[in-house]
Amino acid sequence: MSSRRSRSNQQSSTSRITDDQIADLISKLQQLIPELRGRRFNKVSASKVLQETCNYIRNLHREVDDLSDRLSELLASTEADSEQAAIIRSLLM
Amino acid sequence: MASLISSDPDTSPELNRKKRKRSTVETNSSMEKHRSKRWRTDKEQQIYSLKLFDALRGSRRSGREVRVTADRVLAVSARGATRWSRAILTSQLGGGASLRNHKKAKVVTGNGKLKKQPAAIKKENRRLPAVVRRVKVLGGLVPGCRKLSLPNLLEEATDYIAALEMQVRAMTALTQIIGGGGAAPPPADHQLGSS
Repeated sequence: MSSRRSRSNQQSSTSRITDDQIADLISKLQQLIPELRGRRFNKVSASKVLQETCNYIRNLHREVDDLSDRLSELLASTEADSEQAAIIRSLLM
Repeated sequence: MASLISSDPDTSPELNRKKRKRSTVETNSSMEKHRSKRWRTDKEQQIYSLKLFDALRGSRRSGREVRVTADRVLAVSARGATRWSRAILTSQLGGGASLRNHKKAKVVTGNGKLKKQPAAIKKENRRLPAVVRRVKVLGGLVPGCRKLSLPNLLEEATDYIAALEMQVRAMTALTQIIGGGGAAPPPADHQLGSS
């Protein structure tokens, strides 16, 4: 088993990907998803990790959309005079 | 007391193989982590917030325009290092380049997907069909990554998620700052004061 693993790792850049490598990548992905971060790997299937990843990205997209709408409203109501802009910029730094 | 493993690691071929494998994996993952960790620094977020604010001041202000601008500034911040960032920039440049990629994506009906599935299942017996399906969905969510191999897709998705999280943090902070401290001075109305 270990010999097969190391052999395929040596040619992993161009040829087939092993199941072990996929499992490794999926577990890395799992650590990024807040929903799944605390759980141990053998309790979460690859399919579940991928599903939660997709949900998470969709949620982030939606948050960005909502924030974009909010920002557009705020920018419309504040006049963009340079003094206010300078204050805002200094608060951002 | 008796050690089961040879005490000298250099002479053991088994441990050598493990060492080599570990160093390859570590190089790859350290590169990924370094790239994704960029998005988590305060400095990166500050730079993004400033650039975004400057970009928004000069533009039209629909929600959609803000979103487009926010994505563009985010993609520029990636400095061309990732596929998703390059895809965002090319898709925003008039849309000519995006036609080729979206030829198949336009026909996203249920029938199209169902026809494809039997072939996918036959070809990839080693992976579960459910996983294949979810991988395709993920590929559709990360810009420019529909046809990527699984390891590359996961790498792109990792960086993309980190970047999106930063985008949310930065835009939230920007919203609070503008919303809290950006109130326009009230119009001159002397009725309340002494007239």
